[in-house]
Amino acid sequence: MRRGRYIKPLPAFVLAGLIMVYASYRLPRLLPGDFVSAMYASSPVTLTADQEAQIRAYYTRGEGFSRYLLNLFTLKWGYSYTFLAPISALILEALPWSLLLMGGAHVISMLFGFIAGVEAAWRRGGYVERAGVGCMTVLEGIPEIGTGVILLLVFALYLGWFPASGADTAYAMFSPLGRVWDAAQHLALPLATLVLAYFPGNFLLTRGSMVMVLREQFVETARAKGLPPVRVRYAHAARNALLPMVTRFGLRIAFMVTGALVVETIYAYPGLGTLLFNAISMRDVPLIQGIVLISSLMVLFVNLALEYVYGWIDPRVGYAQ
Amino acid sequence: MKRSVVKAACVFVFLAALVFSNLPSSMASQIREIRISDSKGDWGFPNPYRHYPRGPGYVRMSWVFDTLIWKDQNGYIPALAESWSFDADRLAFTFHLNPKARWHDGRPLRPEDVVFTLDYFKKHPYRWITVDHVSRSEAIGPHTVIIYLSRPYSPFLSDIGGTMPILPQHIWGSVEDPERYNDPKAFIGSGPYLFRDFNKAKGTYLYEAFTDYYQGRPKVDRLIYLRSGKPLISLSTGQVDLANIKPEMAEQLKGKGMVVIKDERGWNKKLMINHRKFPFNDKRFRQALAYAVNRQEIIDKSQRGFARPASFGLLSIDHEMYNPETPTYSYDPAKARTLIEALGYRSGPDGRLTKDGQPLKVELLSSNITVAGESVADRDGEVIKKQLESIGIQVDLVNMEQATTDSKVKSWSFDLAVSGHGGVSGDARILNEMISSQYGAGSVNSARYDANPELNRLLEAQMLEMDQEKRKAIVFKIQEVYAEDLPAISLYYPDSMAAYNPGKGIVWFYTKGGISKGIPISQNKMSLIR
Repeated sequence: MRRGRYIKPLPAFVLAGLIMVYASYRLPRLLPGDFVSAMYASSPVTLTADQEAQIRAYYTRGEGFSRYLLNLFTLKWGYSYTFLAPISALILEALPWSLLLMGGAHVISMLFGFIAGVEAAWRRGGYVERAGVGCMTVLEGIPEIGTGVILLLVFALYLGWFPASGADTAYAMFSPLGRVWDAAQHLALPLATLVLAYFPGNFLLTRGSMVMVLREQFVETARAKGLPPVRVRYAHAARNALLPMVTRFGLRIAFMVTGALVVETIYAYPGLGTLLFNAISMRDVPLIQGIVLISSLMVLFVNLALEYVYGWIDPRVGYAQ
Repeated sequence: MKRSVVKAACVFVFLAALVFSNLPSSMASQIREIRISDSKGDWGFPNPYRHYPRGPGYVRMSWVFDTLIWKDQNGYIPALAESWSFDADRLAFTFHLNPKARWHDGRPLRPEDVVFTLDYFKKHPYRWITVDHVSRSEAIGPHTVIIYLSRPYSPFLSDIGGTMPILPQHIWGSVEDPERYNDPKAFIGSGPYLFRDFNKAKGTYLYEAFTDYYQGRPKVDRLIYLRSGKPLISLSTGQVDLANIKPEMAEQLKGKGMVVIKDERGWNKKLMINHRKFPFNDKRFRQALAYAVNRQEIIDKSQRGFARPASFGLLSIDHEMYNPETPTYSYDPAKARTLIEALGYRSGPDGRLTKDGQPLKVELLSSNITVAGESVADRDGEVIKKQLESIGIQVDLVNMEQATTDSKVKSWSFDLAVSGHGGVSGDARILNEMISSQYGAGSVNSARYDANPELNRLLEAQMLEMDQEKRKAIVFKIQEVYAEDLPAISLYYPDSMAAYNPGKGIVWFYTKGGISKGIPISQNKMSLIR
């Protein structure tokens, strides 16, 4: 029975994975234009018709879906047309920065958003709760580009507290500790921008579901038993308000790649968003398909994991299946 | 007593540090490092086969690999070749190499390396140059090389002399696939800087001075490139020492003690015309467009005044071969209408032009355009649309991203498109590349216009004329014919500026005719040499 619960979602996910493999191959090829024109459009080099044909032939040799599948299963990700480097190296270079920035922002905003949401719901009707909801609704409406530019102007240009761009001071001769401090300083503003963008949503979502849960009879019972309020809030009520947050987390994973583009651009921060953007503008098909595939598989994998986590957080989900 | 001596020593050290830190860097013997930024950062690995085919990619490579000759703010100067001469009878260029020239691994640079480079580029083309006109080359003695041409080739000095990086034979001799050659030896050149590191994700480069450089040890020990999309902040906060800036930033940066430099007019915005379809295939219609477009209004509105109207002859007005007699088209909407009406169009009651009941309707494509490595938004399309509509042409303005617009232009599925390119102050070969399909069929910026046999003949003739004065006369004529035919309309030269921190003791400048083939970037290596 239990094993069946683990196996049941697998076929659907495998099918979705196969569809994504095909989509990652087909979609980039539907883009108008090609990499030779994109690469040489703003170049001082003017190609003749022969040269253009030679370059195109050199880079597109051995393409085709069957070759793509074969390469995929032998873990050959190919070679980028425009970045002139192996796809795997390009992605592996950019991925840690995306995980640091986006992962950090997600974890911080979820953790604090959840706690703040629970506390706000508990104090429903109070001055702090109403002010909090008002502020968060306003913050939720401000796009990352707005917060990013404001933070940049105030803290980098006028106050000079934080550096304006990059992930570290390039080639500075710091001690290991100094290097960490330098990276943290560079991370501060982009991270703050993303946390400010994600935190309100988490707060409002948690508060909303928590308000509903707090009306339930089991919460009344827990209170009547004389349990400490913290235990009522977190062990009894908040656990039941957690499910929507987990779903949100799964959905937001997709933004690990695309969502950071604006912030990466404003702060010249390295990451997959910038890499994907450059790959698309240069029509670098092998790189686009590599990033699209990795990010879509990441979304699939996380959502599959969440299928199991749901049952663990709320056993009723398991029984329903 | 002891304590007061220590105190006095501390005060002395502190004051000394203060004084020395405020000394102009030029007084210090060596500058520790210089930081340069642009918004993209990643321009590929700095060797001839792995840098991206854009100006910033070539410039990053140029620190590591030297050419036979180079350019500064006044024109050609010696580089690996101390002197050079041309023998018209034998169609041969002789270069006398600097005997002090060394590769980064300490080996001497020999004339055989130049011979090898030419042969290697024949086998594995380096797209920035063409070696098709070189019949053979030979090393004469320890420091002389002669390059023979199979037929005259007027851009030889610009191409082979000033753009072709010289490769070490002892390294590249055994390399079969240069585009995938990723050994540290692939970065051994004879330039003033040793390549130390490149981080693609961060867009950062580290170079270190080559102390045995034949023109003397470079002034700066470490040269660092980094990515920053906010030059105003990066320069103001001292994060970088040199960056391209927007003209609006100039005054503010000057107020902060930065030096602002302005390039000659080497990049032109232009209106591409699909001259293969009616009515654009009639030169009267193209001339009407030129009369209908008010370039000063475009400059004032979309460039906020930071640009100058361009010559209709394509070549920059700063070019030494610019023809001041090139035909021009002053803004004259009435004349534009008259010319269009001569093609059979009639004005309707609403002022719109029609022919056989069909309205004169055109599609105008517009997109971001990359200038000197920076992506710049286009606002010209809106102004041009309004101007054309005021004379009765219906305009459908379509904004797309650059690669999509380029692909439509390339496949001739467009009417009009706002575009642009550099190189108009570099070698006059740019005329061939931007006009004729024989030279520019692979370019999205080329008009690919072959309809005028006289123009084709002149273009071919200027490539074969080795006498500069005679070539100039041909180039003058090309500009006249081109401005008369108008296969594309040059609109304006946007102001191109950079700012740097003079406290570092380096004077940066823009190169006459642009670096190499006309790259409008102020990072000339000579700034760190002399």
